[in-house]
Amino acid sequence: MKSKTFYSTLAVVMTTLLLLTACGPAATEAPPEEPCLIIGALYGGPLNDAGYNQAMHESVMAIKTNIPCVEIIEAENVPEEAGATSTMENMIQQGAGMIFATAFNHQYPALELSYKYPDVIFEHAGGWEMGANFANFFGEPPDTWYIMGVAAGRMTETNKLGFVASFPLGWTLTFANAFHLGATSVNPDVETTVAFTFSWGDSAKEADATNSLINQGADVITMHVDSPTTIISTAESRGVYSIGFQSLHAQEFAPEYWISGTGYTLGGTLTWLASTVIDGTWEPIFLRCSLFDGCMAMAPFGPLVPQEVQDEVLAVSAEVEAGTIVVFAGPIVDQDGNVVVAEGEVLTPDLMSSVDWFVEGIIGSPK
Amino acid sequence: MTLLSVLGVLSSAIFSGTSLLYTTLGEIIGQRSGIVNLGLEGVMLVSASAGFAVTAITDNPYLGVLVSIIAGGLMNMILGFLVISRRANQLASGLALMFFGFGLSAWIGRSYVGAKIKGLPRFPLPGSSNLPVLYSSLFNFDLLIYLVIPMAILIWWLLFRTRWGLGLRAVGENADTAFASGRNPLLIRYQALFAGGLLTGLGAAHLSIAYTMNWMEYMTAGRGFIAVALVIFSKWNPLRAIVGALLFSGAVAFQLLLQSSGIQVSPFLLDTIPYVLTILVLIVWGGTRRHTAPASLGRVYQGTE
Repeated sequence: MKSKTFYSTLAVVMTTLLLLTACGPAATEAPPEEPCLIIGALYGGPLNDAGYNQAMHESVMAIKTNIPCVEIIEAENVPEEAGATSTMENMIQQGAGMIFATAFNHQYPALELSYKYPDVIFEHAGGWEMGANFANFFGEPPDTWYIMGVAAGRMTETNKLGFVASFPLGWTLTFANAFHLGATSVNPDVETTVAFTFSWGDSAKEADATNSLINQGADVITMHVDSPTTIISTAESRGVYSIGFQSLHAQEFAPEYWISGTGYTLGGTLTWLASTVIDGTWEPIFLRCSLFDGCMAMAPFGPLVPQEVQDEVLAVSAEVEAGTIVVFAGPIVDQDGNVVVAEGEVLTPDLMSSVDWFVEGIIGSPK
Repeated sequence: MTLLSVLGVLSSAIFSGTSLLYTTLGEIIGQRSGIVNLGLEGVMLVSASAGFAVTAITDNPYLGVLVSIIAGGLMNMILGFLVISRRANQLASGLALMFFGFGLSAWIGRSYVGAKIKGLPRFPLPGSSNLPVLYSSLFNFDLLIYLVIPMAILIWWLLFRTRWGLGLRAVGENADTAFASGRNPLLIRYQALFAGGLLTGLGAAHLSIAYTMNWMEYMTAGRGFIAVALVIFSKWNPLRAIVGALLFSGAVAFQLLLQSSGIQVSPFLLDTIPYVLTILVLIVWGGTRRHTAPASLGRVYQGTE
């Protein structure tokens, strides 16, 4: 008898689950006419992460808004190389003439496929390889990190800033360095402490790291992780300022203690790239564009940021734009006192990806 | 190191140890009845995603916690069906349950990634309200934290001071003897797994709804397995589990403190401290003469046809 009841329950559960799955994929309507270009876009994580993937997704979707005749096929949660290859092949079978591969791991699968499909245009976010039909694009975050550092240096009362990072990678260290240089430019007493979680998505450890930094006196928290939501919510719940990165949506998680933040807004650039594919003028270019080209944007200031700080931050931003402030201009000294960028020299973007040092004044070990 | 940073380690240990402790308590009940659940990771993920989704939809974190608890119980019933009714191998079934949980939780949580929820409300520890804000915010706990140690004591009492607990432990030691003395091993094991699932659900709810206020795919990041290790560490005793859970999460908080205190040791090495500690403890405590593990742990009860 007992097992009979169990089988009936199981049957009910299975039927419910099947019904639910049936509801899942909503009926897709066929596009009214032939699209002028089919674009395939793939992402390493979920599209609604209020972080990097959402910023990339919104940039790609801006193409559809600006050029209504394009059709966009998206695939999220494709972190691995093997999955990326089959996803892109699948998109090309569906007629995609242009591919946006947005995760770090997508670069080499996309490059390989670009040899196999010479008629398809491949664009990778943040890569360095180039080919006849393969190129890359990205924003330039270091400038924005410097500007955010200025805001942090002005807002801190304890002179301690906290930076939660996933892994000690070249770009992450560059961001922390730029942030600290910006902060010390207005407040020489400032210290920046970096804590690593060794995961792109371990929320509990991100909360632990945020709390640990706050407990050591940090009163401004910023981060380089995939999704900033846990870190910003935690800082907000402790009554500590936060500065966001990746997507402008991060602000929603800190209604009170938000200072500002920066995010990728590549919609205009991607629209232009797509339009050159449509009219046949596309060429492979190593495309990097900055805050001042509209490829990144600064989020609105939070309610507690005084007007004079806002004015100063915008003034510094104007100076960076004009070139009177160069973030990584020498001399720059690392934690051990070694000169890493000599007087009169500038750290170039191709070296930023392989940085393995922290500037003087940062607490934490870079390797 | 300041007083604030030392108290901070304690506070972090309590905050992130709570979900571990509930999960460990759940696994202790199951193992006391003779069933190893290696699928805890999957159970936690399904509970965490379901609870988070309901909190995001209804804006009521308590409802979310309730759904998490129920989801945990139901997930464990799947294992129960496999290993009790179908007499399948416990280790294989547990791993299958884990992978099922990965997929199911990703599907449930899919549209709630990045959703902003109202986390479980926090209440200051009595007497901490006169302290400066930075200190008092260390001891601003939610209901699930206040309840976790009473829960451990309650589970201990149930297992060691009630007839139900005696029967449950008897089944875990020798199901045939328990059957001969008039108990129903199958029913008792189902009850143990269900109760354990409810507790695992509570742990998962604390992780997603109270502590991180976030849902991400695979957000448990190995905590289910840590809970299995903590069961062995605590020698199947709910009171010792309190120490184990606090020690492990304290070690995580301590290595983060070391990282940011400026010592020049690679953060890669510091990050391994909690796991090295777990292994050390298992080595030191593992080889005791008295057998504390339930004697028929992992064995299939063939029943008396």
